[in-house]
Amino acid sequence: MPNSNRHFPDHAGRRTWLWGIAGIGIFLLVWQLGAAAVGSHLILPTPAAMLRAWLGLVGTARFWTAVGGSFLRVLEAFLISSVLGMITGTLSAWDSRVESLLAPLMTGIRATPVLALILLAMFWFPASQVPVFSAVLMGFPVMHTSTYAGIRARDPRLLEMSRLFAVPRRTRLLSLDLPSAWPYILSGASNILGLSWKVVVAGEVLSQPSGALGSGMQEARLMLETPFVFAWAATTITLCGISEFILHSASKAAWRAIGSVQHQTGV
Amino acid sequence: MFEITSVSMRFGPLEVLDRISFSMESGSITAVVGPSGSGKTTLLNIVAGLLLPSSGSLSGFENKRFSYCFQDPRLLPWLSAKGNMMYALSGLDDSTMAEQRCMRFLKEAGLAGFEHYKPPQLSGGMQKRLALARAFAMPADVLLLDEAFTAVDFRQKQDLMRTFLDLWQKEKPTVLMVTHDIHDALSLADQIVVFSDRPAHGAGIVSIPVSREQRSLGAPALAPAEQELFNLLGI
Repeated sequence: MPNSNRHFPDHAGRRTWLWGIAGIGIFLLVWQLGAAAVGSHLILPTPAAMLRAWLGLVGTARFWTAVGGSFLRVLEAFLISSVLGMITGTLSAWDSRVESLLAPLMTGIRATPVLALILLAMFWFPASQVPVFSAVLMGFPVMHTSTYAGIRARDPRLLEMSRLFAVPRRTRLLSLDLPSAWPYILSGASNILGLSWKVVVAGEVLSQPSGALGSGMQEARLMLETPFVFAWAATTITLCGISEFILHSASKAAWRAIGSVQHQTGV
Repeated sequence: MFEITSVSMRFGPLEVLDRISFSMESGSITAVVGPSGSGKTTLLNIVAGLLLPSSGSLSGFENKRFSYCFQDPRLLPWLSAKGNMMYALSGLDDSTMAEQRCMRFLKEAGLAGFEHYKPPQLSGGMQKRLALARAFAMPADVLLLDEAFTAVDFRQKQDLMRTFLDLWQKEKPTVLMVTHDIHDALSLADQIVVFSDRPAHGAGIVSIPVSREQRSLGAPALAPAEQELFNLLGI
């Protein structure tokens, strides 16, 4: 008699983890081999030297002040560029006149080199706000484009239905436009977050505010402490990863909350 | 009384409608049948005000409220059944009335207990009933149906048409429905407007002087009208 209780073990999920760990292992191995070949901590420290430098930093108040300061700057830049981009993206998707009005500005901002922007911002803003301003200008067009594309990609049949039933604009925005654009907005937010970390830290390297990862990185470079430069960079990468994880968790919770509100109100 | 007089429609070089004329009594059901691509949906869109005809006129539709039921249900998949109804009714001034109509028509469409289900959790037939409930819940003088009874199996179609007639008898809007199925038209309509091939002109109008109770499938009372329809369609 054939066995009807067939079991399909989920190897795929486990394999994904294994491949991820293998990737990290290969990266560290190549780094170690590269450092050994170079033979100078000044040019390329080993992973172990970077870890020692990082452990030395973690115990200091300066490290945590830098982490907190940079995190707040990234958060500020992320929120401003997200909100601004969503507003302009929505208005552009709704009205082709706004789209045409903003198109040259968006093209101009996108074509401006980050470093030029940071150098100009240093004339206009205090050191602590230079990274924020630069990151907003780099991030906001990304969210603008994502929101615009997401709203424009909404199902035209649902749009026609909404028009025929004379659904008010506010309801259409909240119940059709933004939910349709949600995957695009989420992708845009994820891109902005990564970009914000990069631009904020680059801005900090140049503008040298107090309490900043970039300032720590620059000081370590000036002191020729390459393992510490790596340690500050590794901290930035780790924080970027953590904040992306938080963003994805928060977006899932927000989606559930929107569904719950709609469930309760009937809309 | 609603009058459609000599309405023509042209998209560039493509002539779709050619001097279509007919009238509809208030509270009646008019079906438009004809070959695929003959411009039936274009006529609905003109009546709904989505398209302006190239020539001709419509009278009696001024200041009238419209509702629409599409071939596909056109439901927002992230909203519940109730949410979809309330979305369509959100333009009404009286939100209490909107809520009452929403719950009433959900119940009358046999969807009580499914208010919080989202469209992907409903069967195809239930989604169609939800779309019908939404169309009737919208207070309207004219209800436009575009192939609303297609893409379901025979049993679901009978169920859907029964639901439609129940709701129509309670609200009595003037209905203009487009269908390619002459049996749907024979079962439901007071009169059937027959379109020719494109560019569609009115090949004829068939009145159905038979009460709806006597219109079971293959009923002898419908045979003369059915034969007339076949003749007009050249079948």
